[in-house]
Parts: sequence; structure tokens; C-alpha cells
Amino acid sequence: MKKKLWQIFGPIAVAFALVAVILVAPLPLGNLNRGTIERAAVSLSPDVLAGQRIKHQAVQDGYVPFFGSSELSRMDAFHPSVLAAKYDRNYRPLLLGAPGTQSLTHFIADQTMIQQLAGKKAVVILSLQWFTKMGQMPDAFAYYFSPMQTIEWLRSAEPKRAADVYAAHRLLKMPVIRDNATLYDATKDIAAGQPISSATMSLLDLRARLLNNEDALFSRYGFKANNLPKIEKAEKQLPAAATYPELNALADKIAAKATSNNDLGIDNHFYSTRLAGGKIDGLKDSQVRFDYRRSPEYGDLELLLEQFARYHVDVQFVIPPINQKWATYTGLSQSMIKTAANKVKHQLTSQGFDRVQDLTQDGKEKYFMQDTIHLGWRGWVKVDETVAPFLEDKQEKPVYHINHHYYSAAWANATSWK
Amino acid sequence: MINLQPYANPMYFVYLLIALVPLMIGLAFGRRFKIYETIVSFLLLFLIFDADKWQQGVALIGYVVFEAALVWGYHRYRSRQNQTWVFVLAVIASIMPLVVVKMTPVFSPHPSLIGFLGISYLTFKSVQMIMEMRDGTIKSFSLWAFIRFLLFFPTISSGPIDRFRRFEQDYEKIPDRDAYIDMVGKGVHYIFIGFLYKYILGYLFGTVALPQVARGAMGMRDAFFGTGLSLELVKYMYTYSMYLFFDFAGYSLFAVGVSYLMGIATPMNFNKPFIAGNIKDFWQRWHMTLSFWFRDFIFMRVTFFIMKHKLVKNRIRVSQVAYLINFLVMGFWHGVTWYYIIYGLFHAAAIIINDIWLRFKKKHRKSLPHNKWTQALAIFITFNVVCFSFLIFSGFLNQLWFAPIPHVSR
Amino acid sequence: MAENIKETVLNILQDLTGEDLANNLDDNLFDNALLDSMDTVQLLLELQDQLGVTVPVSEFDRSQWDTAAKIIKKVADAQ
Repeated sequence: MKKKLWQIFGPIAVAFALVAVILVAPLPLGNLNRGTIERAAVSLSPDVLAGQRIKHQAVQDGYVPFFGSSELSRMDAFHPSVLAAKYDRNYRPLLLGAPGTQSLTHFIADQTMIQQLAGKKAVVILSLQWFTKMGQMPDAFAYYFSPMQTIEWLRSAEPKRAADVYAAHRLLKMPVIRDNATLYDATKDIAAGQPISSATMSLLDLRARLLNNEDALFSRYGFKANNLPKIEKAEKQLPAAATYPELNALADKIAAKATSNNDLGIDNHFYSTRLAGGKIDGLKDSQVRFDYRRSPEYGDLELLLEQFARYHVDVQFVIPPINQKWATYTGLSQSMIKTAANKVKHQLTSQGFDRVQDLTQDGKEKYFMQDTIHLGWRGWVKVDETVAPFLEDKQEKPVYHINHHYYSAAWANATSWK
Repeated sequence: MINLQPYANPMYFVYLLIALVPLMIGLAFGRRFKIYETIVSFLLLFLIFDADKWQQGVALIGYVVFEAALVWGYHRYRSRQNQTWVFVLAVIASIMPLVVVKMTPVFSPHPSLIGFLGISYLTFKSVQMIMEMRDGTIKSFSLWAFIRFLLFFPTISSGPIDRFRRFEQDYEKIPDRDAYIDMVGKGVHYIFIGFLYKYILGYLFGTVALPQVARGAMGMRDAFFGTGLSLELVKYMYTYSMYLFFDFAGYSLFAVGVSYLMGIATPMNFNKPFIAGNIKDFWQRWHMTLSFWFRDFIFMRVTFFIMKHKLVKNRIRVSQVAYLINFLVMGFWHGVTWYYIIYGLFHAAAIIINDIWLRFKKKHRKSLPHNKWTQALAIFITFNVVCFSFLIFSGFLNQLWFAPIPHVSR
Repeated sequence: MAENIKETVLNILQDLTGEDLANNLDDNLFDNALLDSMDTVQLLLELQDQLGVTVPVSEFDRSQWDTAAKIIKKVADAQ
């Protein structure tokens, strides 16, 4: 009888014990190999974005985070990762972002990395498309959601700090937070301006241990997309050495071939799969009502800024344009775009973030955009002209002065300012 | 507020095991702690239907009150009289809530307010009570026993579908210690196979692979003269079939395994369905408790009725009509959408063709080869026919053919 | 009487299965694919017609009706 019970439950008990040891014990871990990091840096994978170990080692190895969204996936010959590799620059981009990632996602995902970035450099590609009436889309937030990073934030959050209270309120608007009772309770505490109860805190500590080990053990297997072949293929299109005018000439040549099936200057494949065959007809004047001037995204952006300021991260911002022909076709208002871009720039420069490359007026330039709203060929070259010297050369330390007014609803909805 | 969906994550099993330990010790000593079991069941049901699912909880209570009153009333009636029209009315009344829930999406964008997780499965249990009372095989009836049977929590959300008399026997008769420990061993074994199926294989096919192949197939919408038929779609078909099996079989194993821990031998739902040599064989192996329920309460009754009243003379025609009705009802039961109904019709057609073939084979037994190669061919054909039916069932074709064109997004 | 039942049942089964089961009383009729659901319904109807035994469909539990011998016993008990 005892033997029988042992036969039934013994293996379960042993299995539980083993799992507990692996997940909770502090694990000695060496370095990941360079190939893994190289692959991860261009994978655009949600696991890399939400994880810890890979980002940590990448920054240690001299990678520079490029925060952005879908434009990062436009890997033509002039993409930052391609140029950096081909011309053996003293930096390599760590691409963080994918379709749907916005300021709030980046703010949370940065938690384990931000201390390590202290005094270092970063690049942020800020799309005006983020600044919608809703701001961060809840579905996308859920898709890139990292319980580990959220717990990291909660454990360091201060209930008296305006940024943390604001962040807590924003998180509570995301349904995914409710899926986990502990996270939800702790976030509610911070939102109410109260410290997290000690019982909840110890649950968070345990959970953090578990998730850290999970990340350390499995993160290297998480990302499936391998974009390295794409990068290497793109490198082959480039000459061994080139000036910017030469790069632009090459960009024109490649782009002309790639945009031959339409007169909007949109990549052939994009056009034929997403717009051709009558699909485009339904989109005429479809963006007349788009308004990027009023959005909770302005407050979310401030979270990122305050974080950069706290750790003295030197940041180069890039604001990409919208394909002008496309904007005209869909009825997107140019004056609205101008106001929104100015509002973003005001928020940045008034707090000392002076490195802003505003490209919003370049949407009419030929071969600047790969499709509707994504940088390509000439656009990437222009970005490189600013970003490469910023990263390669030593820069004067910026001085930031954070203004909490930018968290307010008044600012989120403001269309004029002094 | 905590909300626990049955078998949704590994923690559920930890809570469940803790709750079941006292009950299991009792059973090992020949006692069933009925009050404790009732409280645990109530708590676990509460946790399925609390928090933002409270509306479903209210619907469940309303449903149970309605069905219990109906079955109780029919029992009272049946002990004195036995008119056919009363029986028919009782059956119609007992399936009415399900009919309303299934029809609502046809007319309204919002799901029905009287729906809840598991209503389809509870309806089978209610209807069989009335049918067996009509047949006189259920004579004694206690309201409490019926509710216990209806709300048996391991099987509440998706079966397997047990039978009242079998369940009662297990519930009242406690196995001796050796037999019970064997049951526990089996139960634990089933639960762990379930982990392999649902959390590993089901995850790989469903969560990892399926979205990718779906994207691939959607990208080929214009292929083959605009029909969307492509190699990607074939990949989707097989991936979905594997996901469907491992997810559902895994879930069923959990339900059976947990029942065993509670000393109830809930019947198995799957028996290696993909080695079936023909469609008939397949339905003896796939979602068995459902197909047997349909066999016993629809197919056999329909054929009995037709033959007794000599509505159709030809025996072969009778079976064909009965198959058609049987699978059409099954299609509607899954939901009132074109693809579930076509799925039902497809299986009816498949089984009718299968019967024709079996008759042909019987007649020409001497001249037809029969060896392991023909058997392998039979399994291969059956497997592909089944996978194709699952492609219909998945509703993916609906998306492929009729969904609006996705917006140009980032 | 008992002999009569046995003979009648075996006759009915021979009609349905096409085989004489007199010497194979304990063969499993379902596992050997000799009977299917259609046949069982017909069996129940024939029993009603020829022997006046009424067996409701829900009484028909396959495991208790799966050999000729079991069927004969069931019918004898019911009469």
C-alpha cells in the first residue's frame, strides 16, 4: 500500500521539488554567446523586448538601444543595423520595438535595463501615429506585456512620485493588468498614493525571483524570427565605402526598382498585398478625422523622459514623416501633423531633450518612405546622417529639467502653448 | 476577486489537489464526505462564475432551477401517466434554454444573457433524464441527486458526458481501498498525460504554430482563382486538427482524472481517434461520450421511430435518414453558423458513403485485397477526411472567404 | 419455452448478421462488427414483434447485449 502510494505520488513530489529548485534558487549563469546576442538585437521579438538577460548583455557588449515601433522592421540596405554592421561603426543597434509598441510599453519594458543605461546613449524613433485619442492600444500592450518588468517597476515605485502614480493609473486602464491579482492589487495601491502592502510585496518578490530565473533560463530560446540573413543580404548591396551623396544615389537606384508598380512611391510588395485590387479605393479620405494633437501618449512619453532624465541617458529623438502622397490621398491634415510635431518637440526641448531630428516635412521627398508611414531608403540615410555622428562621437552631457505639468490632462489635450 | 477557469493553468491543479486531499483520505477509508464534497464543489463552481463572470453565474442558477423543476415535474407526471405529447413538450422545454443561447448570435451582436460556460453539456444531462424516465429506466428520482449529477464540477464546462444511472452507482458505492488506490493511480496518470497533451502539445500546435500558419494561409487569400486554396491552407488544416485533438483530449483527461480521484469513473472521451480505419470507427473513438449520446438518444430513437411506424421501407434509407438527422443536430448543437452545419452534413455524407462501401466490401469480400497496406491506406484516407472536416469546423474558411480586408496598419 | 426463445433470437440474429451463431454463442457481436446501431434497433423491434418483449432503447447497454448468449438471457428474463 505504501509502495503503491509512493509509485503514484513519488514522481510528482520529485518533479515539484526539481522545478522549485530551478525556479527559485539563484542560478549561476555565464554569458550568452555573441551569435545569440547578434541575432536577438535584430529579431524585433517581443521576448527580447520584454525580457531581461539578453538586453542586459547586449548593452554590456556595447549595443545601443533603438526604441521604436514598426519602422524598425523595414530592413533595407540603409537600415541603421545594416549601416552599422557594414561600415563597422563603434556601435551596433539593439532594436527594441515592433508594430504596436508605444511609450507605455517601452517605459515598462525598460525597467531592468534603465540603470545599466545610466550615462549612456540611446535613440528613440517617435511616430506621430502613437499619439491617437486612445494612446497605447490595450491589445498591443497585452501582447508585449512583461509581468517581470512590471514587478520590477512596482518594487521600485514610490507612491509619492508623480510619475509612478501616473504610470499606475495608466496601467490600470490596460485589461491585462487585471489578469493577475497580485499585480493588480499592487498597482491599485500605487495609483491610490499608498505604499504596497508588505504581504503583496513579498508575493511580488517571490514572483520576481521566479520570473527572473525563467528569463535567464529560457529567454535565449524565445525569439524565433531570424533577421540576420536579411541584414547580411542588405549589406551586400552596399559599396565598401561611400559618402552620403553616394548612398543617396544608390538609394534612388534601389528604390526606383522597388516602387515600380504604383505612383505613390510605395514598395511593390506592400502595394500589391495590401492596397492593390481595389483595396485602396476604400481608403480614400479615410484619415480626414485623424488627430494626433490630443492623446494620453503625451503623458506616457513623459514617463520615458523622466526615466531618461533620472539616469542621465543621452537620447537622440527622430520624428519620421508620413508619405505625403499617401497623406494627400487619405486626407490626413498637414496642419494637424505640423501642430502635433511641434507639440512633441516643445515637450522635448523645454525639458532639455535638445537632440530632435524632425523629419515631418520630408514626406514629399522621393524614396524617403518605404511605404505609407515607414521610413525607407533615403529616409534611413537621412536618419544616419544625424544618428551616426551622435553615437560615434563623444557628446557633451545634456542637462534635463523635468516638468510634471506634462503628465496632466490639460497638456494631453493642449493645442497651444507658450 | 479571484476567478478560476477549470484547468486553465497549473495553479488550478494545486488548489484542486489541496481541496481534494480530505475527500481522498475519506474515500481511502471507505467514506464519502458528502457535505465536504458539496462545499468544495460549490466553491469551485463559484470561482468559475464570480467576478466579471457573475452574469453567467446567475444564468447557471436560473438554468439549474428551471431544469430541476422540469425534470422533477416530468417525473411526478410519468409515475402516473405516459402520454407522448407531454414527453415531447418536456424534451422541447429542456432544450429551450440551449436553443435560445445558440440562436441569439444569429440575430444579435451580443451573446445571450441566459448563456453560461457549459450549458451545452448540461443540456445533454437534462434531456437524457427525461428520455430515460419516458423509457422507464429511471424510476426513482431525487432532486438532490439530479443536481449533484448536473453540477459535477470536474466535467461541468466541456464534458465528458456521463449517464445518470452510472454516475449514481459510482457515487453511492465506494470502492474498497485497493480498488480506490488503483483509481487514484489511473487518475494521476490521466492528469499527467493531460498536461502533456494540453500544455505542451496543444500549446505547440495551438499557440505557437497555429497563428503562423493562419497568417500564411490568410496571405494566400487570392490564390487559386481567388478561392484561397493553397499549400498554406493545407498546413493550417493539419495544425488545427492536431491542436483540436490535443487541447480537447487533454482537457477531457483532466476531467476524467479528477473524477477518478473523487471515486467516480467518468467515461473516457477519446481512444486514439487518428488510427480509425473508417468514419464509423472514428466516431467510436472521437469525442466518444458525445457520439454515444447522439447514438443512443438520437440515432437509435430516430431509426426506432421510423421503422416502427414504417415511414421508410428500405432499411438502408432508414439509416441514411437517421445519420443525416443525427449529424445535422450535432452541427446545430455546435452553433448556428454555416460551417458547423456543413461540418455536420459533411460527416453525415461521409458515414453514408462509408456504409455503401462497407456493403460493397461485404458483397465482394473474396475479390478485394485485405492486408496491412490496405489497412494503412484506410487509416490514411480516414485521417485526411477527418482533418478536412476539422478545417470546415474551425471556421477558418469563413475568415478566409468572408472576413473584411484588414486595414493597412503599422 | 426457453428453447423457443433461443431459436427465435438466433433466427433474428442470423437475419441481421448473415451468420449462424448457434455454435458461437459467446462471440462479441459489436467487436466483430456483426451488429451496428441500426441492427440493434431492428433487433429490439423484432423482439417486440415476435416475442412480445418490450425493451426500451435506454435499456440497451451495449456491454450487456454484446453476445448471443447474453441477449437470449436478457430476453428470457424479460418474459
